[in-house]
Amino acid sequence: MEGLYFNIDNGYLEGVIRGYRNGLLTSHQYLNLTQCDTLDDLKLQLSSTDYGNFLSNVSSEQLTTSSIQENTSARLYNEFNYIRDNSSGITKKFMDYMTYAYMIDNVALMITGTIHNRDKAEMLNRCHPLGWFDTLPTLSVATDLESLYQMVLVDTPLSPYFRDCFGDSYQELDDMNIEIIKNKLYKQYLQDFYHFVSTELENPTKENMQEILNFEADRRTINIVLNSLEHPEVLDLDLKKQLIPEMGKLYPIGQQQLLVANDLDFESIKNIIESTVYEYRGIFETNGSSSAADSDIGNNASSSSNLEDHFYQLELDLCKDCFTQQFTLSTIWAWMKSKEQEVRNITWISECIAQNQREKINNYISVY
Amino acid sequence: MSSNREQVFPTRMTLGLMKSKLKGANQGHSLLKRKSEALTKRFRDITKRIHDAKTTMGRVMQTAAFSLAEVQYATGNDNIAYQVQENVSDKARFQVKARQENVSGVILPHLEPFIDESINDFKLTGLGKGGMQVTKCIKIYTKAVETLVELASLQTAFIILDEVIKVTNRRVNAIEHVIIPRTENTIAYINSELDELDREEFYRLKKVQEKKQQKTKELDEEMRRSHLDHEKEKEALEEEIKEDKEKAKEGKSVEASAGDKKGAVKNDGKPLISEQEDDVIF
Amino acid sequence: MSSSSTGQAEKRNIIAVIGDEDTTTGLLLAGVGQIAPNQTAEQDDSVAQDRSNTDTKHKNEDIGDNMGKNFFVYREGKTTKQELEEIFQLFTQKRKDISLLLINQFVADKIRHSVDSYTNAFPAILEIPSKDHPYNPEKDSVLKRVKKLFGE
Repeated sequence: MEGLYFNIDNGYLEGVIRGYRNGLLTSHQYLNLTQCDTLDDLKLQLSSTDYGNFLSNVSSEQLTTSSIQENTSARLYNEFNYIRDNSSGITKKFMDYMTYAYMIDNVALMITGTIHNRDKAEMLNRCHPLGWFDTLPTLSVATDLESLYQMVLVDTPLSPYFRDCFGDSYQELDDMNIEIIKNKLYKQYLQDFYHFVSTELENPTKENMQEILNFEADRRTINIVLNSLEHPEVLDLDLKKQLIPEMGKLYPIGQQQLLVANDLDFESIKNIIESTVYEYRGIFETNGSSSAADSDIGNNASSSSNLEDHFYQLELDLCKDCFTQQFTLSTIWAWMKSKEQEVRNITWISECIAQNQREKINNYISVY
Repeated sequence: MSSNREQVFPTRMTLGLMKSKLKGANQGHSLLKRKSEALTKRFRDITKRIHDAKTTMGRVMQTAAFSLAEVQYATGNDNIAYQVQENVSDKARFQVKARQENVSGVILPHLEPFIDESINDFKLTGLGKGGMQVTKCIKIYTKAVETLVELASLQTAFIILDEVIKVTNRRVNAIEHVIIPRTENTIAYINSELDELDREEFYRLKKVQEKKQQKTKELDEEMRRSHLDHEKEKEALEEEIKEDKEKAKEGKSVEASAGDKKGAVKNDGKPLISEQEDDVIF
Repeated sequence: MSSSSTGQAEKRNIIAVIGDEDTTTGLLLAGVGQIAPNQTAEQDDSVAQDRSNTDTKHKNEDIGDNMGKNFFVYREGKTTKQELEEIFQLFTQKRKDISLLLINQFVADKIRHSVDSYTNAFPAILEIPSKDHPYNPEKDSVLKRVKKLFGE
């Protein structure tokens, strides 16, 4: 039934997205890329894919990993903007929600830059193009959170997320607080997005997106818990609670266990997470070398995949599943994330080629 | 020749001074030479190590750069660089301390990494994403910087040693090719001057002796001549007296003339002595 | 000479960096960064001097901003040779607390003359490779001297 109405608004979009999805690099193409000896070879290989001759105006002297990354990202942003321009109504809103994450990054970036009196133009250059909003440049006038909110953010879609950041003692902006604010915003954002998905969207989009967002929340939770392991003095339990999204598969049982004490070690965290959520069993398996044991860094550190890789892998699996269903907006999300991963993969491979680290070249993640 | 020796008065005292100076210079030369050799040995050692370290540095830095690439991969954006730059606080976690090392009198600074573990500007960097990679990256880069500091310390030693060896070698050469020949020349000069003086003195003495002898001779001559005259006079006088006595009294005068004769002889030594000797002998 | 330089070394304890973004980021992660709040009198002199320099020139906020920082990010195509020279002089001559200057080799190439003619022991200059520019021992100013000494 939903398929009937879905195509009225989104039929074209879904077609385009599926077209884009077919343009994603396949494992066979990745294999070709990893065989390249130089970045020039890589460029040649890429030109036979959907990327075409996007690097044609880059001369071989200027061909660096960063220029490759820049160009591939630019392509992604173009495609995203094209879809957004062609969307309407609820779809448009959905896509706007997708960009809020980048906005949060940008706001954090601008505030950081402002504190250190950096050149505004330079900072704007570094902002994520998808997280752009009109009042972004004026962010630099703010000196504390209150005025930041009153003057700039109240008009942006982010303003509801800021509500939770007030009322505590973190009024002065400094580096530490920005990171905390950023994570608080993320939490609010994820919860809001989840709410939006659950109330306004139809199945199967709803189902898929809930799944994805839950995963996203879990990823943040696990990361925050693990990354604050070494600095318990900075993040106490209360603060941690404020940063961790109240959703996801770990919520509420797993989170409760994680937040019961501040002195959990790596092993106990691992046990809690693995016992609570079946899917996350195994994500800690091979990352022992990167977090717990620091003895022989550099040699085998990244030879095996680590936690972050596992997350990317899980995310991509979810995305791949999304494409199996029709009449859903979640394909947009899935395509976007897959494409971002693809950009990362290409960057990674070119990095490996440029730096002659061939043994690690196969650490890219490809599911298609 | 005159430029290659010191301007001194050729005296025995300066000769003594110069000789001790030459001795000192020789000793200094051998000491400096030994120092220079010790330094050069060390220097070669260091240059070799620098060469090795510089080549390994390339690899170390590459690994480090790669771990940063991993961070960028994990965090998924390239703003990490910016964040890191902004998070730097007012106190460096990684500092260096200079320790001193003594190589044959040359003080070489030895840089040592000094890490203040209480400082970490990046506690929350990558909190939501990629924090582990950041931590790992920090560790790898810390190791890399330690290598770099080690290398820098070698390099500093290299520069200082290079300078010191140059100075020492210059001194060795200066002593060997300027001071020692010059002192030797001076000594030779003083010796030759002194010899010259000696010869002059000898000649002078000889001359003086000669003169003296000549004078004595003359004196003797004169004396003899005057003596002869005296004898003659005496004889003449005696003759006269004889004649007078003969003229006056014949018998009595012989006794008187003999007594007179004895008294006159007493005045003149030599003939007297010879007469006496004659007496003794005969 | 050696005695005086080691005397200086007592106070020198930080590492300065001139490099591209990735190199700088990595080294900063290791914790070499320091934004000095305790600027001494002589430091203030150089601030004033640099300010006047920057005033006369086009908008040159990087260097003005760089006061107090011990790192400088080189941006391909953006950073001028003059800026590099200035920052190099700042780190090697004016600041008295730097014991070691790490500079990317390809950046050092831009101001090769200054780097080659620099002979002081402190701060020591170390040319390091960067991500995009592998290390070339032929160009290193110290290695060149090593080679020269051995007559190669």
